[in-house]
Amino acid sequence: MNAPVQFAPKNSQGMPVPISESEHIAQLKQTLLGDIQRSAYVYRVDCGGCNGCEIEIFSAITPVFDAERFGIKVVASPRHADILLFTGAVTRSMRMPAIRAYRAAPDPKIVVSYGACGCSGGIFHDLYSVWGGTDQIVPVDVYIPGCPPTPAATIYGFAVALGLLSQKLKGTHHEEVPGELASLRHPGVPLDVRVLLEREARRMAGYLHGGQIADDFMGLLASAGTPQNFETQVHQHLASKDDPRLSEIFGRLQVLCSSAIGASPT
Amino acid sequence: MFVSDQSRIGRNYIAGLREKFPSAVIDEEWQTADQVTVTVKPNSLPDVVAWLYYDQGGWLSVLFGNDERPLNGHFAVYYVLSMEGIVKSWVIVKVLVDAVAQEYPSVTPKVPAAVWGEREVRDMYGLRAVGLPDERRLVLPDDWPEDLHPLRKDTMAYNQRPAPTSDTETYQFVNDGGESRVVPLGPLHITSDEPGHFRLFVDGEDIVDADYRMFYVHRGMEKLAETRMGYDEVTFLADRVCGICGFTHSVAYATSVENALGIVVPPRAQAIRSVFLEVERLHSHLLNIGLASHFVGFDTGFMQFFRIREKAMTMAELLTGARKTYGMNLIGGVRRDILKDQRTKTLKLIAELRAEVTPLVEMLLETPNLKQRTQGVGRLDPKIARDFSPVGPLIRASGFARDIRRDHPYAAYADLPFDLHVMDGCDVLSRVLIRVKEFYDSLNIIEHVLNNMPEGPILVEGFAYRPHAFALGYAEAPRGEDIHWSMIGDNQKLYRWRCRAPTYANWPPLRYMLRGNTISDAPLIVASIDPCYSCTDRVTLVDVNKGKSMTVPYKEIERYGRERKNSPLK
Amino acid sequence: MFKLLKIISKAGEATEKYPFAPMPISPGFRGKPEYKAEQCIACAACVTACPPNALSMRTNTAEGKRTWQLNLGRCIFCGRCEEVCPTHAIVLSPDFELAVGNKQDLLQTACFSLTDCAACGTPFAPTKEIDYAVALMVQSGLSASEAVAMRAHFETCPDCKRKLALASVEPGQYLRRGNP
Repeated sequence: MNAPVQFAPKNSQGMPVPISESEHIAQLKQTLLGDIQRSAYVYRVDCGGCNGCEIEIFSAITPVFDAERFGIKVVASPRHADILLFTGAVTRSMRMPAIRAYRAAPDPKIVVSYGACGCSGGIFHDLYSVWGGTDQIVPVDVYIPGCPPTPAATIYGFAVALGLLSQKLKGTHHEEVPGELASLRHPGVPLDVRVLLEREARRMAGYLHGGQIADDFMGLLASAGTPQNFETQVHQHLASKDDPRLSEIFGRLQVLCSSAIGASPT
Repeated sequence: MFVSDQSRIGRNYIAGLREKFPSAVIDEEWQTADQVTVTVKPNSLPDVVAWLYYDQGGWLSVLFGNDERPLNGHFAVYYVLSMEGIVKSWVIVKVLVDAVAQEYPSVTPKVPAAVWGEREVRDMYGLRAVGLPDERRLVLPDDWPEDLHPLRKDTMAYNQRPAPTSDTETYQFVNDGGESRVVPLGPLHITSDEPGHFRLFVDGEDIVDADYRMFYVHRGMEKLAETRMGYDEVTFLADRVCGICGFTHSVAYATSVENALGIVVPPRAQAIRSVFLEVERLHSHLLNIGLASHFVGFDTGFMQFFRIREKAMTMAELLTGARKTYGMNLIGGVRRDILKDQRTKTLKLIAELRAEVTPLVEMLLETPNLKQRTQGVGRLDPKIARDFSPVGPLIRASGFARDIRRDHPYAAYADLPFDLHVMDGCDVLSRVLIRVKEFYDSLNIIEHVLNNMPEGPILVEGFAYRPHAFALGYAEAPRGEDIHWSMIGDNQKLYRWRCRAPTYANWPPLRYMLRGNTISDAPLIVASIDPCYSCTDRVTLVDVNKGKSMTVPYKEIERYGRERKNSPLK
Repeated sequence: MFKLLKIISKAGEATEKYPFAPMPISPGFRGKPEYKAEQCIACAACVTACPPNALSMRTNTAEGKRTWQLNLGRCIFCGRCEEVCPTHAIVLSPDFELAVGNKQDLLQTACFSLTDCAACGTPFAPTKEIDYAVALMVQSGLSASEAVAMRAHFETCPDCKRKLALASVEPGQYLRRGNP
């Protein structure tokens, strides 16, 4: 009826292509999802991950996250598995072992691609020694992004795979509307002063904390009106936070700011 | 970077070298105050390395090739020696390899620690080490074409994927133990971590020899760093060398570039790096102690250690925004500061960890099973250890006081309070005990740094990248030292990045640790080096004497490892 | 044995309630990058900084469009995009519930129009980027009319700028410098 199934299919150039799934199996899978309820056996196939994903899966099955609450159990052999969990960008060496594991699991089976490397090859996506993600060799049912996904994200992903929770994320597309403008931040603060303050705050506290600190600082600067008023407000702000490090950074910003504004003609 | 004569640490080694081998040294170049690269004549290479290694207290940290044909017309091979005699410094022995002959004399017959490095140089550059006893492929996959050497500058694009040459594994395993059964383990497995394939050669229950095929996870990162990425992007790539000690790799990489360019990283950034590094050690050591409980059949302990380990993960999330301490480094500093809120919460978590781990460890050590299963098991003989330059708790448990944090201080370690823990039991038990002690040290270090944070910035920027400057960077990961070597390029990309993970140094002696033990101890011994990979899923047993072969699932071997009843070999 | 039981009973119920209750997450957690397309000027700073190439851009000069794309399946949640974005159009959120069945749902795209070069007519820079540059001039102290006057300069592509600059140089000007 059909052409013989290739164990590890390749195209005419001899390059590996994904295994395809027959319609019959896809139907069976729907039945499996209906019946599986709270007894899902998972086999992990590491296709060359960095270990981050593997350890987070460990965390997901140990006491604090305890995926076994939902009947999710990690098993020792693909022959026992309902779900195959593929991690890693599929290195050349792991292609055949991974395919053997896939073939060994009984149909119908659910394939979960785990982590950035599994979903798309991640940071390694176009390298010579990887094939660039789980779906380059086997059909995938659910993708769990993350680098690595947290144990909570893992539990959520399993719940989506088993149909217990519905998918939240949807693809989006934005088309520019004529006249669309990006708004300026802190329009009340001169550009050179803003850049100076933001750079210094990042140098002192990194992009995240520094960004917040610079925003707070310029917020006070814009709302204060007079220099005296600004001094008082800064003092109050720092007193309420009671953080010596924050006071140090604010102190530096104040010095920079007063010399910059003092030097500028306006 | 210019280093004045007086400030050169380790000049005694170079003077000694020039005296002992008067005509061997061609060139001498100082990268930092304690890093020197000496170019020697190829014929003297094995003797020079052996002299530095055995007579001067050197250890071979890493060796690697470099395609320097665009720079000087030759290939080059670098042997990085960590000198740990009276003077602690780095001596890098370089040899230029003729671009046509592509051969250089092998160091392995004199210094066995060079074996993996010389095999890798052959894979990646096609340079042949003449006299190398083991010329099998090491890094490249079995389905990779012969004579295609990825790291040569003129062979291939980083994203070129040749069609697989084979669908079967072709690696030849070596057995020095005579006739025996063969026990392959892997490459897929249930317990943890990464794939790898083991062959155990057994006589009855006893392991007579072992060999392994690693590098199932070879992804080609070194080529990637030279091609697609800029300097700062590589720090994020270095994070992903290893999922447990990723931050250590990125510190080692950033340090290598900073050393090459003479960038002075602000003290606060160094302090923060030390905190993150120790957080990593916390969760990694808890993981390994947990696994040790698992492998001796004490799963309740395993679960308890993992429960507590989550506190270390929370600490990482609190400080870095991710449970893995990923993505925190830039060249010249770090990306996040520690403010009051995080500091207070971290100190609270430290106190909780100390209070909770102490009774758990006491309980584990009082469990009779642990001592019985680990004492005298998986012995790493100090002589073997000396020959192969292993690292981390593995070597410290065999009586050698090696720790990069002490030997070559980086980040803020020169001023931090911690002890160097050394034991001479040489067995699995000693390794577990060392990890326990280091765990408490890490707690103390984090506490100390958080209470004594230097002021000032956490990042320097605005430095110029000098083409072809190079240097080493290093950091002590939970399982041993990470060594990185970077050469700056002239196109805003690295010319060459070499990264050596600790397990790379710890695999070769494992063979000797397995010999003479029983099969049921194999998973435990493998786990005791805390590899970035733990065990295996499938076991084939070949008994040459009885002429029969059988396959046993890995779970069966692991079960036997825990219960020690109903041997699968019968 | 007794000690172990004591530890276990003391630990009590250690398991998180998630997914039946929200997961407690530390402030500053790096989750899904939240993108505000209205605020984006398609300058490609994030694309250059993104280590795994999860962010990419395609320029279609025939249609005068530039398409920005985020592939959440490839994202490593490092936050470099947030760090380099000049307009705060992309910020990492605490959202970690990202699993999908269809790979297309991992993609977020946005399409922006390009302005034609005033000299050669080839589309070269996003219109929003030029608008933003003009607005920055106002923030730096120029009057609105002065800023608008600079617009023609911003709307010239680098190649044409170079040619125009060369054309404005008096012949021999550079030769003289070498001969005092």
